Amino acid sequence: MKQYWQKMKDVGKALTDAQIEQMKESKAQIDAVYADLDKEFQRVKEAGMSADDVRKRGQMTIWDRIEYITDPGMFFPLHTLYNPANNEEGMTGVIDGLARISGKWCILIGFDNKVMAGAWIAGQSENILRVTDIAKNLHVPVVWLVNCSGAKLPEQERLYANRRGSGTCFFRHAELEQAGIPVLAGIYGTNPAGGGYQGISPTILLAHKDCNIAVGGGGIVSGMSPKGFFDEETAEELIKATRHFKESPPGSIGVHYDVTGFFRAVFETETGVLDGLKEYMAEMPAYNPRFFRVADPAEPKFPATDIASIVPYNQKAVYKFEEILARLSDNSEHMEFRPDYGPEIYSGLIKVDGFPVAVIANRQGFLGATYPEYTNAYMGVGGKLYRQGLIKMSEFVTMCSRDRVPIIWFQDTSGIDVGDIAEKAELLGLGQSLIYSIEQTGVPMMLVVLRKGSAAAHYVMGGPTANNHCAFALGTATTEIYVMHGETAAAASYARRLVKDKDAGKDLAPIIAKMNAMVKDYTDKSRPVFCAKTGFVDEVIRYEDIRNYMVAFTNAVYQNPRSICPQHHMILPRMIQSQVVKGQPRPPKE
Amino acid sequence: MADVIVPMEGKVIKINVKVGDTVSADDEIIIMEAMKMEMPVSAGVSGVVKEIKVSVGQTFPADSAIMAIE
Repeated sequence: MKQYWQKMKDVGKALTDAQIEQMKESKAQIDAVYADLDKEFQRVKEAGMSADDVRKRGQMTIWDRIEYITDPGMFFPLHTLYNPANNEEGMTGVIDGLARISGKWCILIGFDNKVMAGAWIAGQSENILRVTDIAKNLHVPVVWLVNCSGAKLPEQERLYANRRGSGTCFFRHAELEQAGIPVLAGIYGTNPAGGGYQGISPTILLAHKDCNIAVGGGGIVSGMSPKGFFDEETAEELIKATRHFKESPPGSIGVHYDVTGFFRAVFETETGVLDGLKEYMAEMPAYNPRFFRVADPAEPKFPATDIASIVPYNQKAVYKFEEILARLSDNSEHMEFRPDYGPEIYSGLIKVDGFPVAVIANRQGFLGATYPEYTNAYMGVGGKLYRQGLIKMSEFVTMCSRDRVPIIWFQDTSGIDVGDIAEKAELLGLGQSLIYSIEQTGVPMMLVVLRKGSAAAHYVMGGPTANNHCAFALGTATTEIYVMHGETAAAASYARRLVKDKDAGKDLAPIIAKMNAMVKDYTDKSRPVFCAKTGFVDEVIRYEDIRNYMVAFTNAVYQNPRSICPQHHMILPRMIQSQVVKGQPRPPKE
Repeated sequence: MADVIVPMEGKVIKINVKVGDTVSADDEIIIMEAMKMEMPVSAGVSGVVKEIKVSVGQTFPADSAIMAIE
C-alpha cells in the first residue's frame, strides 16, 4: 500500500507577511481569550489548600503525582474547568487527561488531595463517568490515583444517589473490567466509605504504607450507636473512639495487605507507588506502532502557531480549512475523498504520527454559483450543510468504519440548510441518516469545535450529544456552541411581540432591550470558558496543541484496538485514488 | 480588460485595492457580506485595477461587475 500512503498530495502554503499582518488584530483578540483561560486553569490548579502545605505533610499533590508518573510532556489534560454542578469548589475534585506512562497510553485520573482531601463533591461523578467513557471508546487502561476522603457530607444529596451518582463510578469500573479494560490504582491516604470503594473497585491495587480503604471510616464506626441524640456522655465516647481510630483506622495495610491481600503491593514512599504503577503500565497490552503505521511519522511542514493567524476571531470572516489541515497532518499531506462533491465539507485521509486518520471538516466561504444543486433560489455558503455534503459524510464515515480508521471532526458550522426547498431535498432525513451512519461505525472519534458548533449540525457532525463514539471534544479560543446565534434566537423569540406592540402603538424600546439582553446572554453562555465548565467540550486548548492531542488520540486508538482492517484490505485509499467512478488510468502501451 | 463578476448578491464591507494597483489572480480585492458571512472576492485575473464600480456599504445584485482589471 506504499503507493497510497508514503507520498500523498501536498496541502497548504506558507503564510505571507501580509497575511500575518492582516490577521494581527484578530490574533490579539484570540490571545486575550487564552489569557483569560490561563487564569481559569491557574485557579483550578490552586484550588483548596496550598501545594506547599500538602508537601509539608510529606505528601505529593495530585499535580506532583501526575508529573512524576507520566512520560515527560505526555499528559494532555481534559475537564480541567469542568464544573457541571456549579459547586463552591469551582472544579470537580478530580484531575484527568490522556497520558502516556512507560510508553503506554491510558486515561489518568486522580483525586485532588488539596480539595477536601479528595472528597466526593457535586458534579464529580459526571467527570469520572466521562473518563470511563473515554477509556471504553479508546480501549485503553484507566490509571487511578486514589486519595478520597469520601462524601462531602453536608451536600450528600447532590452526589450520593441517582443513576449517575458517585457510586456509578464503581459500577463503571466493573463494566470496563468486563470489557477487558484494566483499571490500575495507586492508593494514598484515608479512603473511607465512598473512598473505600474507589480503592477496591479497580483491577490492581498498589498501596502507600499509610493508606487505608474501608467500608466505613473512623467517623462512621464511632457514630454507630447513637441514642438518637448527642449528650455529654456520647460526646466523650466519640472523642475516645475518634482518638483510637485516628491511631488505628479501619482497613489499613495490616488488614488489606496482611490479611485480605487486596493490595498487591505496599510501598514505603509516595513515589514508590507511582513507580509500581509505571511497572504495571509497561506490561499493559499494546501493539508495536509499526503494526498499524503506514509511513514514518513526520511533522507538518508548516508551524501550528500559524493557526491563530488563519482562523479569524470575527465569526463572520472566512478561511481555508486546508490551511489548518496543512498545520496538523504529517508532512502536510492528504488524500481528499470526493473533492468535486459536497464542497461545503472537507473529508479525507491524513497521517498522524504515521497512522491513518480520517478528517471531516466544514469549509467556509462561497461554494460556487450552482451550489446547492437542488435550487436556483439561493446560493450556498460554507459553514452550512447541504444535500451533497450530508450524503458525502455518510458515505465517508461508513467507509472509515469498514477500514477501521479513526475520525477527527472539525466543526465550524452554522447549521443545516432550512426551508421547504431544503425539506424537499431531504435534508432533515439526511441529517438523521448521518447520525445513524456514525452510530453504526464503531470507530473512535475526536472532535475539535474550531469556531461555531450550532443547530443540528453540531449534532450530526460527530458531536458528543448524538454520538457514542466521540471520545472527547475540544474547544479553542474561537469556540462558540449554541442552538442558534443569539440574534437569530432573539428575532425568533420576539418577532411576533414586536408586531403586536407595533400594531398596538406601544413603545418598542422594552422589547428591543429584552432582545439585546438575550443576545448578550447567548454570548455569555456559548463561549470557551462556559463550554468547558458545562462540558460542551472536554477541554479548551491552544491551536498549537491541536496536533498534540491528535497524536495522543491516534496513538491511544491504535494501541490495542478491538478490531483491525489489514492495510492491504483497505478500500478507502483505493476509492480516493480512483475517485470512485473514474477507475485507475490504463497504463500506456509499451 | 476583464470585469470581476460576483455571482451572489451582497454588500461591500471593505475594498482592499485602489485604481492603478497591480493585483494577482489570488489577491482578495474586496470583502463582501452575504448570508451573514464576510467573504473575500478574488481578482480572478492578474493585472492592473482600472475601475472600481462599487463603494463600501453598497449592496449589489447577483452577477454584478464590481471591478475592471486590465
